[in-house]
Amino acid sequence: MALDAVFRDQWGRVLATLVGVLGDIELAEEAVAEAFAVAAERWPHDGEPANPTGWLVTTARHRAVDQLRRRQVLAAKTKLLARDIETGPQPPEPLMDDTVSIPDERLELVFTCCHPALALEAQVALTLRTLGGLSTDEIALAFLVPFETMSKRLTRAKHKIRDAGIPFTVPPDHQLPDRLAAVLSVVYLIFNQGWGGGRVDLAAEAIHLGRPLADLMPDEPEVLALLALMLLHDARKAARLRDGELVPLDGQDRSLWDTRQIDEGRALLRRAMTQRRTGPYLLQAAIADLHLYQPRDWRQIAALYERLARRTRSAIVEMNRAIAVAEIDGPEAGLTVLDRLDLDHYRYFHSTRAELLRRAGRDGEAHRAYRRALDLAQTEPEQRFLAERLAETARYDRTEHDTTGR
Amino acid sequence: MQYAFLAYTPPEETDRATRPIPGALADLFDQPDVTGWARLHAHESATTLRNDEGRMLLTDGPFIDSKEYLAGLILIEADNLDRALAIAEGMLQETRPGTAIEVRPVLAGHFRGA
Repeated sequence: MALDAVFRDQWGRVLATLVGVLGDIELAEEAVAEAFAVAAERWPHDGEPANPTGWLVTTARHRAVDQLRRRQVLAAKTKLLARDIETGPQPPEPLMDDTVSIPDERLELVFTCCHPALALEAQVALTLRTLGGLSTDEIALAFLVPFETMSKRLTRAKHKIRDAGIPFTVPPDHQLPDRLAAVLSVVYLIFNQGWGGGRVDLAAEAIHLGRPLADLMPDEPEVLALLALMLLHDARKAARLRDGELVPLDGQDRSLWDTRQIDEGRALLRRAMTQRRTGPYLLQAAIADLHLYQPRDWRQIAALYERLARRTRSAIVEMNRAIAVAEIDGPEAGLTVLDRLDLDHYRYFHSTRAELLRRAGRDGEAHRAYRRALDLAQTEPEQRFLAERLAETARYDRTEHDTTGR
Repeated sequence: MQYAFLAYTPPEETDRATRPIPGALADLFDQPDVTGWARLHAHESATTLRNDEGRMLLTDGPFIDSKEYLAGLILIEADNLDRALAIAEGMLQETRPGTAIEVRPVLAGHFRGA
């Protein structure tokens, strides 16, 4: 494996272990960064160690001791840590053999980072930094905020965890459902940001975060379902754009779909379904799966959206149900559902409405809805797509104005 | 760790001083986790002294002007924030609707027995 890939892969794992030892994310981060720097220097000529995780953890622990000694602070902690290292099963030089197993504490770390006592935007940034291994620069870029802002946000979150005593632990059973939902919503939020087409592939990052969660919580159907959902959506990435233009699902070149990812997503979905507990991600993953079949089973899709809407009370889910209803009972039926929703601020509401209006032959109204959607559109491909539709419906708009003016 | 709970409550009709602490809440204050508490008079009783660039300004009323007022301080000992929040939640359940508890880690302090 290329060194970069090893590092990306190991960062969260090694950092989690160090946070467990040091009880402080900031200190742990510095020590792990130093260990990675040492590895980057040595591995190319010494070769990659048999147990890279063990090597990195040991090196980071030594660096942490050095750091603490240098700083002459936290004297008690240094003693504790030094004793721990002396009595622990570590060889003097970080040349660990692969029999040493290091407990995986990434779950503890993710529950710390997604603790509800932190602001949501801080949870997101911190999760990407600690578990995802993204640099502050990359995170700032992904969320289109200045580096300084992101850096401050991360520092403030790390300090709050330390000062307020946010525990480094997997929550007990009675708290787990709520806290797990918070973790999953952070991951899904990262995934959805990824669809905006920013310079950092956040969708891939979210999948990268979802994998260890699914490994570490194999009995939580919602964890498996979220990963399935993301994989099934992301599998169509290459087909979603053609020459910079958005391609609707039915027009997509299916040979561009990532079948390996679809298979993996479907296998996860099946595993999640065997647990017999239905949650919002399971419903969404099942819907995402149904959308991949040709022809689409719109009745089943509509039925699942209905269940999801009842559960989440989300107007956006209702909007999606309207699309399915339009496929079954015609555009006017879909519009009836849409017109009950309060989604004026939502760009896809207007493009969806415009599309159904156009299909219903109400082109003047469609034209105005496309204009509203274009006003709200955020990415270039979206803007181009909508501008085209706007031009297509322009003549009807004029006709309608004429008729109403007459 | 030590945490301070700052309890804010909405204004009330009856005289606070004549009402006892509800029994269930008083029991919670007797838990060993609770290392100290102070119930405060309503904010009409507050006087604020402010350091205005060296000049001491005295005003009538609380510093924070809000509908809710600071009704009490509770000091507790807990392993971590989750435990502190659980204790706060237990207390909050015994309070009037609209009450809020702000949980703050204590940086340093000295508490003499009351």
